[in-house]
Amino acid sequence: MKLAKEFAPLLLAVLALEVVFRFGIPWLLRPNPDFWTLDNQIGIAQQISVNAVIAFGITLTILIGGIDLSVGAVLALAGTTTVYLLGLMDVDPRVPEWRLKFSSLEPDTVDAMMAALRFGALGVAVLAGLGTAVGFGAFNGVCAAKTRMPAFIITLGTMKIARGLAHRFNEGRPIRIPEYHTEFLALGNGRLFGVVPYSVLLMLAIFAAAAVLLHRTRFGQHLYAMGGNREAARFTGIPLARNEIAVYVICALLAGVAGLVNVSQLYSAEPASGEGFELDAIAAAVVGGTSFTGGIGKMAGTLIGAVIIGILNKGLNQAGVHYSLQYVATGVVILAAVYLDVRRRA
Amino acid sequence: MTRVMSESADPPLLALSGVTKRFAGVTALDRVDFDLRRGEIHALVGENGAGKSTLIKVLGGIHIPEAGTILLDGRPAAIRSVADAQRHGIRIIHQELSLAPNLTVAENIYLGREPHRRGWLLRRKMDDDARALVASLGLDEIRQVDAVVSRLSVAHQQLVEIARALSAQARILVLDEPTSALSEAETEALFATLRRLRSQGVGILYISHRLEEILRLADRITVLRDGRSIGTQDAAHVDQRELVRWMVGRDIVDHFHRPAARPGEVALEVRDLRGPRTFGVSFAVRYGEVLGLAGLVGSGRSEIVRLLFGIDPIERGEVLVDGRAVRIRNPRDALRAGIVLVPEDRKREGLVMIQSVAFNVALPWVERWIAACRPDARKRRAIVDRAAQGFGIRMADAEQCIASLSGGNQQKALVGRWMEERPKVLVLDEPTRGVDVGAREEMCAIIGSLVESGLAVVLVSSDLSEVLGLAHRVALVRDGRIVGVAPATELTPEQVMQQLT
Repeated sequence: MKLAKEFAPLLLAVLALEVVFRFGIPWLLRPNPDFWTLDNQIGIAQQISVNAVIAFGITLTILIGGIDLSVGAVLALAGTTTVYLLGLMDVDPRVPEWRLKFSSLEPDTVDAMMAALRFGALGVAVLAGLGTAVGFGAFNGVCAAKTRMPAFIITLGTMKIARGLAHRFNEGRPIRIPEYHTEFLALGNGRLFGVVPYSVLLMLAIFAAAAVLLHRTRFGQHLYAMGGNREAARFTGIPLARNEIAVYVICALLAGVAGLVNVSQLYSAEPASGEGFELDAIAAAVVGGTSFTGGIGKMAGTLIGAVIIGILNKGLNQAGVHYSLQYVATGVVILAAVYLDVRRRA
Repeated sequence: MTRVMSESADPPLLALSGVTKRFAGVTALDRVDFDLRRGEIHALVGENGAGKSTLIKVLGGIHIPEAGTILLDGRPAAIRSVADAQRHGIRIIHQELSLAPNLTVAENIYLGREPHRRGWLLRRKMDDDARALVASLGLDEIRQVDAVVSRLSVAHQQLVEIARALSAQARILVLDEPTSALSEAETEALFATLRRLRSQGVGILYISHRLEEILRLADRITVLRDGRSIGTQDAAHVDQRELVRWMVGRDIVDHFHRPAARPGEVALEVRDLRGPRTFGVSFAVRYGEVLGLAGLVGSGRSEIVRLLFGIDPIERGEVLVDGRAVRIRNPRDALRAGIVLVPEDRKREGLVMIQSVAFNVALPWVERWIAACRPDARKRRAIVDRAAQGFGIRMADAEQCIASLSGGNQQKALVGRWMEERPKVLVLDEPTRGVDVGAREEMCAIIGSLVESGLAVVLVSSDLSEVLGLAHRVALVRDGRIVGVAPATELTPEQVMQQLT
C-alpha cells in the first residue's frame, strides 16, 4: 500500500497518457480509437521490454552513485557475437546431406540428434554473447571499484570499445539469424498462448528478480547504503568493491539479455543497433524517481518510467506526430517528471 | 600535575602507555599515557594539533602507532584495522556523522550487520530489534525507527549513531566534538544519555573544545599538548582557567577584549524583516560597533543572516545601508551594498577546499586581476599578500592547499578575503566554531581591530560568553523574532539563557 502511494503520481501520469492518446487533444493531437485495444497495449509492452531490461541494470548503477554508458554498445556486441557464432555453427536440420550420412539410423533418432546439435549450438552462442557482456561488466566494475576513474569515463571508454568490436563482425553489416533457430526467433516475436509475448514475460521475470534482489536482500540494502553515504558504508564493513563489481556485472548481463531479445526481434544482429539505448534507459530510471546522486530509487519506479516513455513513443507515433516533435515531447516529459520528483522530495 | 591513583583493583577498560605516532618526521603522538575506566566519562582536551584526532584514529584502527602498548582489560591488544577496533568494542562517533541519509533509523543502526537468513533481509526483525534497542537505551527521541534519517535533526542523527555503536556491543564509546552542532537543550539531552550509558558500565571518551561542558560532564580530564599527555585530573578538582592554562601552557587571562566603543553613524538598519522563518525582525548597527545576535541553534539567527545576505528571499521589510534602502535579492546585491558574510560552515559555504589559499582569497576579486582574458599574477599576488599580512595567516606558501591550514587560519583567510575592498558591514556567523583556544583569541583580536577601525560588525554566535564578551549590544533571537536588545554589559549569561529558552 505504501508502494502504491509512493508511485501514485507516476501511475496517474500513465493513466493520463493513456487517456490523452485515446481521445486526443483538440487541435493538437488526433484521437486514436484503437489505442486501448489489447493488441495495441501488448505492442507497447513488447516495445518497452528491451529498454526496461537495460533500465533495471542502469538503476542499480545509478543507485550506488555510478552510471553505465556502455549498455547500448554491450547490447549490440552481445547480440552480434551470439548471431555470428550461430552462423558459424551450421546445424541446419533441413540439409539433405545429414540424412544421407546417417541413413543407417532411424529417422527419429536423427531428428533427436539434430535437435540436440541445434540446441547445443544455440547454448554455446548465447553463453558466448552473455559471457562477453559479463566480461565488459566485470571490467567496468573492477575499474570503478579499484581505480579512481569516475564511472562515467570508464563506461564511456568501454562503450567505444564494445561498439568497435561489434563492428568487426561481418564488416559492420547486419548478420541474419538462421531461420531454423525457431526457438531463438520466438524469444523476440513469439507469444505465449498467442497472447503474451515471451519478451514481455522475460522482462517481467527479470523485474521481479531485480526487485527482490534490491528490496529483500542484504545485498540490496548495502547498495542503498553505498549510494547514500559511501564512507559510512565502508566503515560498517560493507564490501564495497565486491558489491560494486557485482552491480556492473549484473547491469552488463542484463544488457546482454536485452541484446538477445533485440536481435531476435529484428531477425538479425546489427552492429549499429542499440545506439542511444543507454540514454533511454537512464531516462526510464530517472522518470521513475531514481535520484541521480545515488541512494534513492526503486525497481517499480523504473518499470513505470519505462512504461511512460513507451506509451509516449507509441502514442505519438500512431497519432502521426512528426518524429522531430516526438523527441521534443520526450524531453519535456523527462524534465517535467524529474522536476516534480525533486520538488516532492525537497 | 598529580596523577590520580586508580582506586579499584580492576584493570582499566583501556590503557595506553608510551603510544607514539609519527608522520613524515612530525611526531603527532609522543609517548602518550592514558587510561579509561569502566563506567567513566573521560574528557580529552587540547588545542588543535595537540594530537587528539591522531589518538582517536589510533583507537579506531585507522592509524597504527610505532611504539607503545594498548591494553584492553589489562591484556595487550593489537588494533591494526577498523575491524579490529570494532571487534574490541571500540566505537568512534566522528564529528562528521557517518550515516546514510537516505536510509531509515533502523537501517542505519544495523548498517552492514542487517539481520538476515542466507542473505535474505529480515526487515521486520530489523525494525523490531531497533525499536527494542532504542527503548532499552532510553533514546525515546528516535523511537520512530522507520523514519528516514535525512529528516531528523542533527541531534537525533547523533543518537542514531550512538544507538548503532551500542548495538554492536561497544564497551568504549569515543565521541569527537559531539555538541558542535547541537542546541543547549539538545546538548543537555545528550549529556543525560551519556550519563545513563556511564551507569550501564560503558567507558566514554569525550573530546570537545567546550571546556565548560567538559567540566560539567566529565569524571576525569586528560590534557594533550604538542602530542604529549600533560596529565590527568579529576574534573571536580579543576576550573576552566586552570584547564586553559594546561592546554596552552600559559595563562589566558580573558580571551575577550571588547573593542572600545566609539559608535558612529548607523551603518545598517533592518526594519520588520520577514522571510521563510523570520517573522518581523528590526535592528540597527552603527559603524564601530559590534551587535551580537544571540540565540540557540534553531532560533532563527542563521535565517536572519541568510536574508541579509540575499540567500533566502526577503518576503517583506526593509534593509537600509547608510540610511538608504537597498534591495537584496541575491548575494551580489548584498556585496554591492557593502555587506559581507563569513558563513557558519567554513568548509561547505566558505572555501573551495580543494584549492589553494591564494585561489580562495582572490576569488571574490577576479575582475581586479583578470582583465578580459589576461590574468595578472602580480595583482593577484598583491591581493593575497595584503590579506595574509593584514590578518597573519600562517602558511608556508600561498599556493598550498587551503585544506592543509588549521581551522583558525582558514577562518582568517575567509575574513581577510573581504578586506580587500573595505566593506561597511561584516557579518560573522559562528566565527570561532571548531577553532582552538589560541586561534580564537587571535580571531577575537582581529574582530576587535576591525571594529576599532570603524567597521560595523554583526556577530552571530551560540557561545554566550563570546557574544557577551565581544559585542557592545546584544539582540536576543528566539523563534525567528528578536525578543530583546540590551547593552552587553548589562546582561549576564543566566539572564540571556532565561530569555532564549
